[in-house]
Amino acid sequence: MAERRFEDLRWPVDDPIVDIPELSVELGERLIIFGPNGAGKTTLLRLIAAIEGEGGTPYASYLPQRPYLFRGTCRANLYLGLDNADRTKADDLAERLGVGDRLPDQARTLSSGERMRLSIARTLAVDSPLVLLDEPLAPLDLRDREVVASVIVDALEGRTGIIVTHDRDTAAMLGDRLAVMIDGKILQIGPVSEVLATPSDDTVAEIVGVSNVVDGRVLARRGALVEVEWGEHRFYALGDHSAGTPVKVLFGGEAVGVHTGDLEGSSLRNRFRGVVTEVRETGRLAEVVIDCGSPVVALITPGSLDTLNINEGSEVQVSVKATAARAVAVGGGA
Amino acid sequence: MEFLGDVIEDAFAFLGNSGGQLAEVLLLTLIVAGVATAIGVAIGVPFGIWLGLGRFRGRAFLWTLVNVGMAIPPVLVGLLVLLLLWSDGPLGSLGILFTPAAMVIVQVALATPIAAGVTAGAVASLSPDAREQLDALHLAPVRRGRVVAREIWPGVTAAVAAAFGRVVSEVGAVLIVGGNILGETRVLTTAIVQETRQARFGAALALGFVLLVIAFTVNGTLTWLQFRERGIG
Repeated sequence: MAERRFEDLRWPVDDPIVDIPELSVELGERLIIFGPNGAGKTTLLRLIAAIEGEGGTPYASYLPQRPYLFRGTCRANLYLGLDNADRTKADDLAERLGVGDRLPDQARTLSSGERMRLSIARTLAVDSPLVLLDEPLAPLDLRDREVVASVIVDALEGRTGIIVTHDRDTAAMLGDRLAVMIDGKILQIGPVSEVLATPSDDTVAEIVGVSNVVDGRVLARRGALVEVEWGEHRFYALGDHSAGTPVKVLFGGEAVGVHTGDLEGSSLRNRFRGVVTEVRETGRLAEVVIDCGSPVVALITPGSLDTLNINEGSEVQVSVKATAARAVAVGGGA
Repeated sequence: MEFLGDVIEDAFAFLGNSGGQLAEVLLLTLIVAGVATAIGVAIGVPFGIWLGLGRFRGRAFLWTLVNVGMAIPPVLVGLLVLLLLWSDGPLGSLGILFTPAAMVIVQVALATPIAAGVTAGAVASLSPDAREQLDALHLAPVRRGRVVAREIWPGVTAAVAAAFGRVVSEVGAVLIVGGNILGETRVLTTAIVQETRQARFGAALALGFVLLVIAFTVNGTLTWLQFRERGIG
């Protein structure tokens, strides 16, 4: 697949906050830049947007972390810098993002969430093959996040997106790949679910945690839970999505139980049979990777590992508390 | 007290009797100050926006020059323009010394730094978020300037008011390059000087009152514009 390559992303030159010799993004993918505050994520986006340094591209459409609306109406702000064709697109995006009816109002009357949604509409409407979004979902509540994420994913179809966040849910909702950035450097890069589930080292694990992300589709709502079709399994997770909604289910490695005995008769709704494919003792906890059709990572203590007496090839049962798993809707067909 | 009473009485008498002569001086004052302000603002405001937003080497030095220009004594500017326009000077061939054109030139030189300095100061007060957004939008320079001008609209109107105030109240420079020739280059301020020198205090006071009315009208209009919501569009 074709890719866009950025080289020598280093800024400031003398005492760099960002120092990345090379960053490649495949055309059409959405790359998440994930990291703690102060990691240099925003500086990286500014470099790529050619606001700082050299090596970026001024043709990227860039949403700053705190987008600013100028004096005037929302419509005037929405159309700022857009040609006529893009303005039609912006109107449609504003409508889908729930700010279409605010366009005649003065921009300064908008709430922070509305400001962000209007700014996202403008950024996505720009006819640019590269879109840079800095914390696009941060000021939104969870329900709004899902709607906005869905619009972003749709609007980025066929385009390349680089999205900064320090939130795992946002990463799961918006990303194809995830780059973990700490102290101005990228420590790990790979598919979102892979990086969240299998951090390359303790430093990365400390930042991202160990999370499982599984893709599925809601079959039905069951009270506070949704029943999700996950391959041949049924997975129960917190959520209120309607049947047919594509979702990702997130649950931490610490929420995963590993059992060698039989779980029949247990009240646990999420229990799956699987085979241990890997056991890693990286720190205070051991990571056990179990193939349940797709990989699930469990975090258990070394003591439990001894008690269970499992190793690669062991047949086990895996349990996940439904209330410890959370479904988030994803775009592209929702 | 009797003296002041006589002066005020004379002032009213002057306003009642001066007729065409006052109108002529008033008209020239408005034309010279108006044209000079317009040109000074047309140059100074965009320059101030550029200076306020810019990130380039030498910006601090340029800003210092603007501040010096705001504080430079008008008589010195008048002298420099006089030397340029003197018959043996570099621009002597234009033959515009002691004409309204020379007065406009000298007042443009006074108005431009004021317009630039006040505008640059207003731009400097833009929030970092606004600046980041401007950078993110990658607008063409003219469009970018228009967005900024409207964002700092109260600052722009303040720049116009300050520039107009500087030129309409100025006397030294226009006296030097205009010569205070009755019917040709006499404006309100130079007329006040003339009347005062000849101890016609009533006439001087009346002219001062007219100047005050102009200042009040112009600044009142600008203040009204300042409070109007001007947005991008």
